[in-house]
Amino acid sequence: MATQLPKTDVVIVGAGWTGLAAAKELADAGQRCVVIERGDWRHDASNFGAPEEHDELKYARRKEHMIDTPTKTLSFRNNADQTALPMRRLGSFLPGKGLGGAGIHWNGQLWRPLPSDLEMRSHYADRYGEDILKGMNVQDWGMTYDELEPHFDFFDRVCGTSGVAGNLNGETQDGGNPFEGPRSSDYPNPPMKASPPLQMFRDTAEQMGYNPFHMPSANVTRAYENAYGAQLHPCTYCGFCERFGCGYFAKADPIVCIYDVVKDHENFELRMNSQVLRVEKSEDGKTATGVTYVDENGREVFQPADTVCLNAYALWNVHLMLVSGLGTPYDPETGEGTVGRNYAYQTIAAASVFFDENVWSNPFMGAGALGMTIDDFNGDNFDHSDLGFVGGGYISANQTNGRPINYHPTPPDTPKWGAEWKQAVRENYLHHVGIVCHGSSVAVPQNYLDLDPTYKDAYGQPLLRMTFDFPENDRKMSAYVLSKAEEIARNMDNVRAVSTVNRAAEGEKYSIVPYQTTHNTGGAVIGSDPKTSVVNRYGQMWDHHNVFVFGACLFPQNLGYNPTGPLMGLAYWTLDHMKNDYLQNPRPLMDA
Amino acid sequence: MPQFSRRAVLMQLGASGLAALTPGAALAQNRYAELDTQPWSYLDGNEARFLASMADVLIPEDDFPSASQAGVVDFIDLQLAGPYGQGAGLYLEGPFGDGTPEQGWQADHTPASLIRTGIARLERDDTRLVDLDADEREEFVTRLSEGKDFDLGDVPAKTLFDEIWALVKEGYFADPIYGGNKGYAGWEMVGFPGAHAYYPDHVDKNAPFPAPPRGIAHVPGTRHSADTASALRGADTPKEEG
Repeated sequence: MATQLPKTDVVIVGAGWTGLAAAKELADAGQRCVVIERGDWRHDASNFGAPEEHDELKYARRKEHMIDTPTKTLSFRNNADQTALPMRRLGSFLPGKGLGGAGIHWNGQLWRPLPSDLEMRSHYADRYGEDILKGMNVQDWGMTYDELEPHFDFFDRVCGTSGVAGNLNGETQDGGNPFEGPRSSDYPNPPMKASPPLQMFRDTAEQMGYNPFHMPSANVTRAYENAYGAQLHPCTYCGFCERFGCGYFAKADPIVCIYDVVKDHENFELRMNSQVLRVEKSEDGKTATGVTYVDENGREVFQPADTVCLNAYALWNVHLMLVSGLGTPYDPETGEGTVGRNYAYQTIAAASVFFDENVWSNPFMGAGALGMTIDDFNGDNFDHSDLGFVGGGYISANQTNGRPINYHPTPPDTPKWGAEWKQAVRENYLHHVGIVCHGSSVAVPQNYLDLDPTYKDAYGQPLLRMTFDFPENDRKMSAYVLSKAEEIARNMDNVRAVSTVNRAAEGEKYSIVPYQTTHNTGGAVIGSDPKTSVVNRYGQMWDHHNVFVFGACLFPQNLGYNPTGPLMGLAYWTLDHMKNDYLQNPRPLMDA
Repeated sequence: MPQFSRRAVLMQLGASGLAALTPGAALAQNRYAELDTQPWSYLDGNEARFLASMADVLIPEDDFPSASQAGVVDFIDLQLAGPYGQGAGLYLEGPFGDGTPEQGWQADHTPASLIRTGIARLERDDTRLVDLDADEREEFVTRLSEGKDFDLGDVPAKTLFDEIWALVKEGYFADPIYGGNKGYAGWEMVGFPGAHAYYPDHVDKNAPFPAPPRGIAHVPGTRHSADTASALRGADTPKEEG
């Protein structure tokens, strides 16, 4: 029998980027917020300091900051004809756990969507005709770039984003991304420095007629006070962003940027080591009454609330809906139902550039968002008329790390181990850069999330089941964008060799084993039609009006960009409508 | 059961094994020497000799130490005895199916039991990797890496190879606080300066970085990578200020 606690105004599931942003905004609006987080309390100041944090084995290999599969995992198969088996060990993606969630071990690559990305179906149908989207569940997001822009702008000032604007209020700017949507204000901070390979990539891309620019970065380039009054410090280019917390207070994260300014708020309460099991519903099923969780002492507790916010990682939000009976599960046979529909991923390929001894990349000098990028082959920035696919990706020379257990670039045809391998590792470590193709991922009917019929988690609940393989569209897209990256690589000076890898190559199935990205999207998508979306355009569930949903599970299909920027724009958009409309008069904000 | 010291195990590697390949001085400096009065934490002598033999095929000695000379077997022993080896990061609920390569680890084993069971089944007919000559060892490891020709029951040969190879790389390149990367062997080889990382004045310069490695424990290394050292000797090499 669950212990019942006194009712609160808002209960928030998860203390990552969106959960802490929700707590801050709603606490300031007079709402008593209880945040429930499965993992441990931790802080940049006390937990992420160098040199202890710079421990590749502990954090990058043993993944101490990430979810542990014995507690929480999913099952996986490439298609519905296979039997899904548990993801027994982390690999392809790395959901977080603990205060700050995955937001503490991100790279800080902070993008906005293209305006056309948010109206993908309408845009492609208008320009090329509906047929180009045949067989895909591609759809519009339900709001426009202009509606989200103030929220992107605000989040840039929460993070102290660095970069060069390409479009300020409609005016194209030198040195920025000419394809981006209009920014209402410039980046808060100047761009990062460029390492030698990035300088070479910029020069070569320019000579080839492309438009290189510094990747937008939440690795802060100078002392900065953020929009909430929190203090950030300049990046040291230490090369330990990805998979690590930042003890320098230089990588924007949910702890230093938001938690520190809400932790003492009278309307804020945080409960750690508490696993939410389900959202409880009212007798008529039309609203949620709160959440049931297992607290740090193993007791089952019911926390009643007027409003429930789902702010867990994208996959776990979908899991929570399925085990709670929120919304209608997607049925791939009939195409009906929406929870679990439109799961998508990220389509990753890369060219590897091996320089001669005159180019010192020193890969250990890096930062999560240290990149020189072109957007000429992303979204619909190029003509898709005769290409046979939609979408695209950015191409970026990135220098994120030189972690020595993992970073062993060797030229093509090098043996995988032994004396020749050892010699090649030694010769190439300091003279190499990777050029990533960070590709979009369309939603198709056969890729989806549901509950596994066999396997259970540590709490006795069925595992989430993922059914996914790269759609044919994305295989063509990835091969095309990679060919452009390879051309740039071969045109760079002082290059001895180039190799490529394409995770979505023809004939290769999606594998859950090698790390690709922690960019799982969809499953609870946003939109303006209840037949094809779980939440309305404000992030409110169609079926349960006091449940609001946050995060990349909202993306109808995945962009060619990293998800944190787009999902935080959506979060502040939802919170704006909660604060200024819903909470004064709780009701469905759109007619179903 | 007698507890053989690490040194005693190392000395049993045989005429064609590590001891023969390793000069006495290097042997005295390797990680076994520091731990040599202690017994293994998880491995037995046969397992340690198998892993030393296999690790030295994967990372043989050249200008830089071999895997076992850099303490990789000690590293593996400590890892298998600890949470990782005992399955801390693995979901191990059944039922167990073979799965596809895309579905990843499906063995009903912790890493420690996978390696123990795998080695026992590889050597069940009393042929020991340590008794083979260098060419035979390489041929054996090649076949194991392909996952073919071995019936190891519920231990997939490819999974076994991948697990050992991952541990060998970790032992060669992880911070020395874990018992491997002895004397910063792996870091000096590639030119990785370690955990005390602060490069705002260097990141945009096309130049070698002059500092030798320094790990979490703050013990300074002694030399640069061969590549960095030769560049630093060059007349026109830009010098770093400060």
